[in-house]
Amino acid sequence: MRTKLFALLVLVSIVLAACAPAATQVAVEPQTIKETVVVKETQLVEQEVLITPTPGPNPMAVIDGVEDGAEITVWTFWLSPTFDAYIADVIAKFQEAYPGVTVNWEDHQATFQDDLRNSFAAGNAPDVINLSISEGWVTDFASQGNLLALDDLVPQEVIDTYFPNLWDQQLVDGKHYMFPYYQGIIVDLVNKQILDQAGLKVEDFPKTIDGLPAFCKTIVEKTDTLCDIRLTVTDLLAQMVYEGGVDILSEDGKTFTFDSPEAVEWLQMYADMVKDGSVDQTVLITTDDRVGLDLFTSGQAAFYNTGPNLIREVRANNPALYGYLDVVNAPVGKSGVVGKGLMAMSVNANTQYPKASVALAQFFTSAYSNLELAKLAAVYPSTPASYDDPFFAAAPVAIEDSAKPRAKDAVAALADIVPTVPSKAEVNEIVLQEIQKALFEGKDPQQALTDAVTAANELIK
Amino acid sequence: MTKKFSLTPYLFLSPALLAIAVFVLYPIAAVFFFSFTKYNISTPPVWVGLSNYQQLLKDSVFWLALQHSFTYLLVTPVLIFLSIVLAIIVNRQLPGINAFRAIYYIPVISGSIAVGISWRLIMGNNGLLNSLLISLGILDGPIQWLAEPGYALPIAMLVTTWMGLGYYMMIFLAGLQNINEDLYDAAQIDGCNAVQKHWHVSLPGLRPQLVMVAVVSSLAALQVFNEIYILFGRLGGVLNSGVTVVFYLWRKAFVLQQAGMASAIAIVLLVITLAFSVLNIRILEHGTEVE
Repeated sequence: MRTKLFALLVLVSIVLAACAPAATQVAVEPQTIKETVVVKETQLVEQEVLITPTPGPNPMAVIDGVEDGAEITVWTFWLSPTFDAYIADVIAKFQEAYPGVTVNWEDHQATFQDDLRNSFAAGNAPDVINLSISEGWVTDFASQGNLLALDDLVPQEVIDTYFPNLWDQQLVDGKHYMFPYYQGIIVDLVNKQILDQAGLKVEDFPKTIDGLPAFCKTIVEKTDTLCDIRLTVTDLLAQMVYEGGVDILSEDGKTFTFDSPEAVEWLQMYADMVKDGSVDQTVLITTDDRVGLDLFTSGQAAFYNTGPNLIREVRANNPALYGYLDVVNAPVGKSGVVGKGLMAMSVNANTQYPKASVALAQFFTSAYSNLELAKLAAVYPSTPASYDDPFFAAAPVAIEDSAKPRAKDAVAALADIVPTVPSKAEVNEIVLQEIQKALFEGKDPQQALTDAVTAANELIK
Repeated sequence: MTKKFSLTPYLFLSPALLAIAVFVLYPIAAVFFFSFTKYNISTPPVWVGLSNYQQLLKDSVFWLALQHSFTYLLVTPVLIFLSIVLAIIVNRQLPGINAFRAIYYIPVISGSIAVGISWRLIMGNNGLLNSLLISLGILDGPIQWLAEPGYALPIAMLVTTWMGLGYYMMIFLAGLQNINEDLYDAAQIDGCNAVQKHWHVSLPGLRPQLVMVAVVSSLAALQVFNEIYILFGRLGGVLNSGVTVVFYLWRKAFVLQQAGMASAIAIVLLVITLAFSVLNIRILEHGTEVE
């Protein structure tokens, strides 16, 4: 008798469970219903059953037509293990908004670019990819046909959630290939101890790029400490544009023009610094930002140009330096623009699940996700709505947060002012070789740039 | 009388032949094909004929890399000399000699990445070497060792030598322990001093090991990559001062995305290493005939 009763209760539970929705989509209050069940032997049994009402549409699901049962992979760039919990939370929220989509996450670090290129070649590239805007990866991969154009897949109301200047970056043939993700405000971290030894104050830090040579000369003369300055060796043309205000291409885009007086002046500045012996030459031409950051973190450099988000590295690796740390605005170049964006989320052109992938890329860059990440590190949302949160209204406490009050304006002013360069990688390689000759072999900067322009024009003829 | 064909040996050989076909012959054939194409890994290759080879002939960095790779071969005689000396030193029954043998072997098992990073710290602007030289009064100020084009290759060669010393020492040590002690006694009776004993007994006795080490270390020197990458980063040093052929190949393929050009470099390198191997085999055969 007890067995039959138990079996009946189990049966009722299964039926009720089957009537419940397949997945929880939005947070709704569960209701308790008292139900009377009549059994064969006319015994009355009372039980309490929890049921959940059918949910309404999730407001975070903004992409329609996501493929049911999609299994997609996302690669992030250097976010693990620090942000493991954040990533897990975003993915969980995404799966609540888009039930039925499975997300696999991998974090790639120093070998990210190589891994990604190899995976594209092997045909097993991830569906959603966290790419660097500042390193120009979006245009690199998009121009090779590896990324999905988003223009026809993203509704205008979603596009409007991003800063327009960020959404319109890294265009290839007028098409958009990325959702802007977290942004950085380029600052200079300053070691006040070394500045003190050099008889300098934080307020003396140059406001413009052309003030750097004299500043570095003073530091090296007074402290024997070399300046920790890094050329963007993977994209020197972009650095010329931002710092030197150089027009690198003719108006018709058919010939290179980066041997102009402005370009020569820009190169001469660095050549003079090398000649003075005031810069660390290993850092100057490294491709790895961490080399320069490590030098600063070890307390062997007076300043380093980076994002405030990397102050956490300084604090973790050299807490003693943290007490001597200050943050100043990065010196502005002749273009008047400090920099372009930092990070993006893009979608693989050959993904099996384009809608699900676009949805995930959008979700990672949504106001919610951006804000949650900004709470964990000194990075800044690409979505204006995130700045309405009380988090941004609170007064900064730590050095990492010092840029927070002006973050929204700074992010809104980021701009990609570099024109699309034909045969970009090859041209940058030509420029790199000639610039090295000017810096380290004493070649006349004018001659070096003219030779580079000649070779580059030959390449695109 | 005709030999009867038997399938059995081929069946035994087939797993190895299959592995060689998949992992050696196919990649070589693919690289040979890609060397005639413009190929960026991400998109399909486009046939360009001999264009990559023509560009290579005009590429000053490639010639510099080739020159660096041949210069790197200097590591081989240095390694052989030092590891024989070291093997002779540790080939004694002294208290704690096994500890010394183990210590000399540590760089071999440390891994080139860890070793490269350690040497980068030693050679850094504020590194151990500069601090030592300044404190001894040899230098007035620090030298940027890793950023001076003239020092790049010697530093990389030094690291390679340091890393390989223990490995080759063990090979020579094994060889020394196989030499009959009677020969040393006979040499002593003939009036040889310690150096002469090694010259007339140890070196001839180590001939098989010498040939093997010469072959292995010269091929390794031609293919050096890790030390260059760790010490000088993705550019291979200021003004390409540390760029070797294999490093340049990697840079062309994976940094500049010119896999077609990289394949052409790989074919040139294959020809060079094949020539080296043939030369070494000839020397080996010659040695066997003498013996």
